[in-house]
Formats: sequence, C-alpha cells, structure tokens
Amino acid sequence: MMNLRMIATKGILFAGALLLASTALSSQLDAKSLTVGLTSDAVNLDPQAGEELSSNILFYHIYDPLVRRNADLTFGPGLAESWKLTDDTTWLFSLRKGVKFHNGEELKASDVVFTLDRLKKSLMANLGANIASFKAIDDHTVEIKTPRPYAVLPNDLAAVLILNEKYVKEAGDEQADLKPIGTGPYKLVEWVKEDHIKLEANKDYYAGPAKLDTVIFRPITNGATRTAALLTGEVDVIQDLNVRDVERVKTDERYKVLTRPSLLNVVLSIDQRDKSPTIDLDKNPMTDRRVREAMVRAIDVSAIKKVIMNGLSTPSEQYVPASHTGYVDGASFRDLYPFDPGKAAALMAEAGYADGFTVTLDATNNRYVNDQQIVQALASMLGKIKINLKLNLMPKSNFFSYIRVPSDKSSLIMSGWDVPSGDGGSMYSVMFYSRGKKEGYGQVNRGSYSNAQVDDLIDKADATSKLVERDEFLQQATKILMTDIPMIPLHYEQDLYAAKTNVEITPRADKFLWAYQIDVKE
Amino acid sequence: MLGYTIKRLLQMVLVLFVVSIIVFLMMSFTGDPVFMVIPIDSTQAEIEQARRLLGLDQSLFSQYWIFLSNLLQGDFGRSYVFRQPAMDLILERLPATIEMVLVAMAFATVIAIPLGVYAGANPNRTASRGIMAGSLFGISLPGFWVGMMLIYFFSVRHPLLPSSGRGETIEILGLRLSIFTADGWSHILLPAVTLALATLAIILRITRAGMMEVMRQDYIRFARAKGASRTHILFAHGLKNALIPVVTIFGLQLGDLIAFATITETIFAWPGTGKLLIDSIYRGDRPVIVVYLMLTAFIFVVINFLVDIVYTVIDPRITVK
Repeated sequence: MMNLRMIATKGILFAGALLLASTALSSQLDAKSLTVGLTSDAVNLDPQAGEELSSNILFYHIYDPLVRRNADLTFGPGLAESWKLTDDTTWLFSLRKGVKFHNGEELKASDVVFTLDRLKKSLMANLGANIASFKAIDDHTVEIKTPRPYAVLPNDLAAVLILNEKYVKEAGDEQADLKPIGTGPYKLVEWVKEDHIKLEANKDYYAGPAKLDTVIFRPITNGATRTAALLTGEVDVIQDLNVRDVERVKTDERYKVLTRPSLLNVVLSIDQRDKSPTIDLDKNPMTDRRVREAMVRAIDVSAIKKVIMNGLSTPSEQYVPASHTGYVDGASFRDLYPFDPGKAAALMAEAGYADGFTVTLDATNNRYVNDQQIVQALASMLGKIKINLKLNLMPKSNFFSYIRVPSDKSSLIMSGWDVPSGDGGSMYSVMFYSRGKKEGYGQVNRGSYSNAQVDDLIDKADATSKLVERDEFLQQATKILMTDIPMIPLHYEQDLYAAKTNVEITPRADKFLWAYQIDVKE
Repeated sequence: MLGYTIKRLLQMVLVLFVVSIIVFLMMSFTGDPVFMVIPIDSTQAEIEQARRLLGLDQSLFSQYWIFLSNLLQGDFGRSYVFRQPAMDLILERLPATIEMVLVAMAFATVIAIPLGVYAGANPNRTASRGIMAGSLFGISLPGFWVGMMLIYFFSVRHPLLPSSGRGETIEILGLRLSIFTADGWSHILLPAVTLALATLAIILRITRAGMMEVMRQDYIRFARAKGASRTHILFAHGLKNALIPVVTIFGLQLGDLIAFATITETIFAWPGTGKLLIDSIYRGDRPVIVVYLMLTAFIFVVINFLVDIVYTVIDPRITVK
C-alpha cells in the first residue's frame, strides 16, 4: 500500500528543489552582462604605457581620473571631490575620502603624487606637459603647480589615471600592465590576449556599483565579422560598424544603429614658407592668401561627404568643434568660403597663377576613413583650378615620421587632429604657434605658419587662469586663423555603433565606450 | 644521420642570422617606431625621453649588436608597444594558431588523398573530372571570401556555428587549448575549413598527378597480373610511390599556414600569431617582427628536416647524408 506521507514528503522535496532551482535561475538573470565587440585588443592596461583607443576604453573601466570627462565633454569631479586655485599657478585638489583600490588599499594623496611622478618619466609624459610640480599637502589634498597660468588644467587631468603606489611598486611595470589595479567601476577578471577581456563590477565603487555585473570585450578586427557577431547574438554592442552594413542592421528591428560626429578633424596643412619643398617655383604660391582661399573654394566637402563618405561625415566649420574653447559661434568655413570653382579660378588669376602650379600632397592610406579616396577627390577638385596635385600616399607607420616638423619634404599634408580635452588652445599652441619660438609650442606646426598676433593671443590665453578669458583670446585667434587659412578643415569622421535594441547606450564624444553608463533592459 | 643533423643545425643558425640582419635592415625603412608609440604633439624633449626608454637612441648598428648579444643570453628583446618580452607575446598566441592549422591540415589530408588517388587512378571518369574542376575552386577562391561566405551561411543565415573567436579553452600543461571542448570545436570548424581549402586542392592535384604517373609503371601492371586486390594496388603500390612530392608540399604548406594564417585569423577573430605579425608591422614594432620571422625560419627548417626523414621511411632507396 502506498504510503501517503512519503508521497507528501516527496512532493515537498520536489517543490523545494523547484524553488531552489528557480531562485538560482532568477539570480542568474539578475546578474546582467554585456559583451562588446571592439576593433582591436587593448595593447596595454597600464595607462602610462600607451594610448590607443581600445586601451583607453579599458583604462576608464579599471582606473579613475581626478577629474571626470563626461560623455558630452563637460568636466566634473572624479577622484577629486573639488578643486580651487590658490594663486594663478597653484591648484589644490581635495580627494574623496574612503575610496578603495581593487586590492583594498585606500586612495591617498601619495598615490596621486606617485602617479604624476611616474607619468613624467614615462612614454606618456606629454599628458603631464602642463604640470610643473606637485606635492601632497595632507592625506587627501594634492597641490599641483602649472608652469604658467593654465585655466584648463582640470581638463588635462581627466586623461591622467590614478595608480596605486604600493601595488605598482610591488608588482613591477610588467605585472602592473597585465594585472591592473585601480579604483574604477570594474575589476579585471581575465585577459586572454586577442580573445577577450573580462571585467566584473566593483561592488565598492565610490559612485555606486555599475548596473552591469559582467562586461566582456572581444577584439574582432574584421568589420564584416563584427557585424556577423552582432547578428548572431555573440556580442551585444559593436564599435565601428561597417558603413556598408548600416542598412542591413537598421532594417532589423532587433538592432539599432547609433552615430555621432567624432572629434577627429581631417585637415590640410598648407606650407607657408617662401620656398616649398615640392613646388618647382622660386616663390611658393601658397604664401598668397588668395591662392589658399581659392583652394578652399575649389574643394566641395559636401560632395566628399555624399560620394566618398556615404553621408557619414560632418563638414568642419572651424578647426575645433562647437563644444570646445576657441570655437566662435556662427563662424564657418562653409559660409565664409562656399564651394565656388568659378570664384576660385578668378582668385587664382588675380594672384597671378591662372596657369596653376604643381604640388605634392602627403597623406596616409590606412589611418583615416577612406583617406585614399578623399585625396584622389581632392586631386580632381583642385585640378579644376589648375593646381596639379601629385599624391604621395603611405602607411601611417611611415607617414608620421615623414611629415614630422620641420617637414622638410612636405608642401601639403592631409592629417587628422582631435582634442578630447575640449580645449582648442592645446591644438592652437602646438599647430599654429610660430615654430621654434618657445619650448612646447609650434612643434606640429607643419606649414610653418607664423603670425605674431596669433602667437600673442595664444600667449595671453596661456597667461590667464580664468576659463572665460582663455576662451575669449582663443576665439580671437580663431577669427584671425579663419582669415589667414593656414589649414583647410575638411570634415569630422562619424562614429558608428550598432547594438541590440535592449541595450541603453549613448555614444560618447571621445569614443571611450564606458560600460558604467550602459544598461541592458530586460 | 648524426652528421646530417649537425649539418642541418649549422645551416639553421646561418639562416636565422641572415633573417635577423634582413629584418633589421628592412625595418629601418618602415618609419620611426617612436611616433607609433607617443602622442603626435610631443615636444622634442619628450621624444628624446621615449627614444631612450625604447633603446632607439643608439645607432642601428649598435642596436643590432645589443640585440645579438642579448640573443646569445636567451633574451629576445622587448616589444616597443606591449613593453613585454617579444618571445612571450608570440608563444602565448602560438597554441591557438597551431591548433587551427593542425585541424586544417588533417581535414585537407583526409579528404585530398583518397580523392586524389581516385582521380589519378580513374582519370577519365566523370566523377574524377568533377573532383578536378572542384579543386580549381579551392585554389582560386580567395580565403577571405570563403571565410565570409562560411560565416554568412553557417552563422548568420543558419545559426549553427559561432562566427568568431576561440570559445571555451582548457589549460593543459600551461597551454590554453580549445580542441578538447565541444565549444572549442564549434569555433574551430569554420576557420579550419577556410584554411584547409587551398591546401586540400593543392594536395589533391599533386596526389592525382603522382598517381597518374605511377599507375602507368610496369610494377603496377605486374601487381595486377599477380592478382593483388585493387585497394592494395592503389594504396600500397601506387600511393606509396606517389607520396614523395605530396609530403614535400605538405611540409611547405604546414609551415606556411603556421606562419601566415593572418587573413583567416583576422576574419574569424582567432587569437593567433598571424594577427600579431600584421599589427606589429603596422606599429613598427621591430623586436616582435624580428623574433617572429626568426621563429618562422626556425619552423621551416625543422619541418624540412622532418620531411627529409619521412622520405627515408617512404622510400628506403633514399638516405640522408
């Protein structure tokens, strides 16, 4: 005879097991995870060893800066709660209290001092170029001095990530690179080179734990494979969606395409020396402002956008985007010098070059989106005003040392420039300041442009500790530059991402995808 | 045999030496690696500091001298970009590549040899003509296209296999291997097939040519007259005598795939060494390129040595001297 009690017990056990299983299941569902397809693996996880994009993305997950750069290029407190100027060149940064590194050590002012000290001796010393000296006042206050009044020091510090002194000293440079320890919202779980990097949320993060518990970054270099990985569900978000896949992804309601203009301004630097290396004339025609204006008017940026960039570029108005200091509201190259080949030819004739001249353009063939096609288009556009453009294309590994100042071999150079710090001044001081006048100024002034007024304005901008005044001086410089035309800005590339519809993500201006601000809806 | 081995070893040292010199000279034409590492707007002082840190402040000759003397102490140099020993970077990625190449070579051999024997023994049958026409596709279709098509059909259209990556791995003797997990196999299938295709076609064609040649020989007729079974004639008398060129090509292909599976690795995001080579060339990372190419030369020398040994097994008339 069947024992009723036994059946009942079994029933309860079974129900209990079910309950257990279902809680296990739901806790698994609660743990949110995200897989991101990047274009390449991170090279370093030591923020003072390199600076390419994938590494940068990882840095901001693992470490924190003193000053946080937000997605829209505004700046706010990071590890430093607040900061103030005590005199024109002295800044006091108050650190947050109770912030812990992943190894349990508490953040102290000495860690900041160690970080800056190490930075100055590293390959990335450039990030600390505007820091003259620094010291710890007490455990939670750091004093930083700039070599001259420098209003945008906090912007610069957003790129300096704070290391743990004890850990780096104990582990050594190589281990610190492979097994990084920071204060950031995520901890490194494992890094299998070229396969994946797995991060897990830091439960003790000072601003509250991240919404996603696990984030996996997978390097998928081939664009088509990246799209395939999204379509098969292997990854949730991909960086740098292939232009030809945009329509395919858009039409599928399970995915969305996200896009925003990047900060990378593709520009043509024009040689201003009296004799130019590749122009076989006694006098360099491009020293005549009318010739430079003619060149701007001969280039049809909207055609480049439509035909070459598939609509995925934003013609540049100025040298820096609207979010930056130095941007002048309402001023645009496109309105000042609209595409007008007739007017351009007339200007050439007026300058005495109706028959044109021959000049070489140096450009990359693997650095910027469609760089090769762009310069080919430029050759045909400038050909209409009889400027015979010879193209000298090379891979980026040769290019940057070839065009390097003093640019002895170059007359025209196409390159890109981005200013993630949001400060036009950092671009103007290295690109437009007269060469060789001051250390740290004009070192990438490829066209040897020199205008005493511009130098003076940059000096003034670098002599005030007030951001508003700095902006004012830089805007005046912008106005002069837009008349002088030392460089022709072409366009900003467009950043493209694709994601599953349930992923809540907003692309950042600086491209540094940050899982802390990403969520996945159920 | 010992004398032969020693001779081969000496040859190898010479080959490696020449490779290192060629790579060093070549790299002096590929631009200044400093600018690949530091921000473009660095000042002269910062550039000098970076040069010093990377050991690039010395002349090319003394850089080579330092490289050579470190090499003799077992130090292969450090990557400029990764700041880690170049050899470690390569060895860490090598198991993934070798795994994929071995699976690909196994596919290629298992399919190509029987088909080649069949097509060689029956050259006039329609099936043989079909096989030969098919092999032309294998040779002429570019690997990247085949790879993309496989991903399209087997991952996107019919989600049977993952599109990329290596999947679950387990660690055996410190090596991270994926061929011992089911997930690993599902990942390796598509890249291995892509990689196998061209090799398959080449081995098939060589086997067929060899078989056609051999099947005309008197000893085959004699074996038939003797009443040996057809399988026995084809494989024991025929294939064995047609095998020498097949083994040669097999060895060359094996070395080639290990060293230069770059395209397949890139398409399938396979974490192997080929991608490291390409990335290092783009970044001007000379220490990695030098060690990589020296290792490649080493692999080729070893494979050729093994091939020579295999010759003597296949054909007792051949001896190594």
